Amino acid sequence: MVADESIRDDLNYVASTVRRQEYRSGVPAIYFLWAAIVLVGFSLPDFAPVAAGPYWFVTGIVGGLASWWLGERAGRKAGFNDKAMGRRYGWHWMIGGFGFLLAGLPVIVGQVGIVHGTSSFLLVGGVVYALAGVHLERPLLWSGLLMLAAYVVMVIFQPPYVWTITGVTIALSLAWAGWAATRGESRDPTDERA
Amino acid sequence: MNALDQLATVFDHRVRLAIGVLLARHGEISFARLKEQLGLTDGNLGAHLRKLEDADCVALRRDFVERKPVTWYALTKGGHRTLNLHLRALQLVIQGAE
Repeated sequence: MVADESIRDDLNYVASTVRRQEYRSGVPAIYFLWAAIVLVGFSLPDFAPVAAGPYWFVTGIVGGLASWWLGERAGRKAGFNDKAMGRRYGWHWMIGGFGFLLAGLPVIVGQVGIVHGTSSFLLVGGVVYALAGVHLERPLLWSGLLMLAAYVVMVIFQPPYVWTITGVTIALSLAWAGWAATRGESRDPTDERA
Repeated sequence: MNALDQLATVFDHRVRLAIGVLLARHGEISFARLKEQLGLTDGNLGAHLRKLEDADCVALRRDFVERKPVTWYALTKGGHRTLNLHLRALQLVIQGAE
């Protein structure tokens, strides 16, 4: 059947074209931004615990908005104006942010002390980042798994400066992801003169 | 009715079908990105997009990204409907062949 073979060829062509545009290595500027935020923010519980809450409240909102702007700008520059994908990212990080707030609830109502309560933030962060790695951008999976491993170490061994060590490790993994994404960037696809 | 008769002529070319599928998946895509994805020349891609525009399946929007002119393409509502009908008909053809 010539018609059937022709349709199969056409569908193979379409499938290969669609697969070619999988561009989920992420936006380098967002990785570098969060590497800097995490590096400072994770060392605060060890060196200035009182500043940690306000710091994460402010940088969480400002960093989230900056990430949204950078992501939207990078998408347009890459030649995609994908509102559905933007919504998926928005929902993921908004629910993640809500999870962070809820992680602080046992501390706020006095069920657990601040020392024991803070490790929950690492658990929520690990789950949110690891799931972002599975559903959105693969490099985030490693940052998420590092956070989960750090949570286990923190709860079982309670070593000194574990927040700082975790922050440095996550910042390095994010910087590595940013560097890898920079290498993966191709020429400017919005340039119609090219 | 034969499944082949239900195929939409505007999507009978694999390049136009690929454009339709890419636009359905991503919303809006720039001309330059489509050109890169499909590996076509400006003229060839322009001709296919014009056919899709003439059939009211695709709408274009001109914009500036970092001071460079960019032409964005998106499927119209009718384009979505026609593409869905075409894909369903393709499914029937393949099922019929198996």
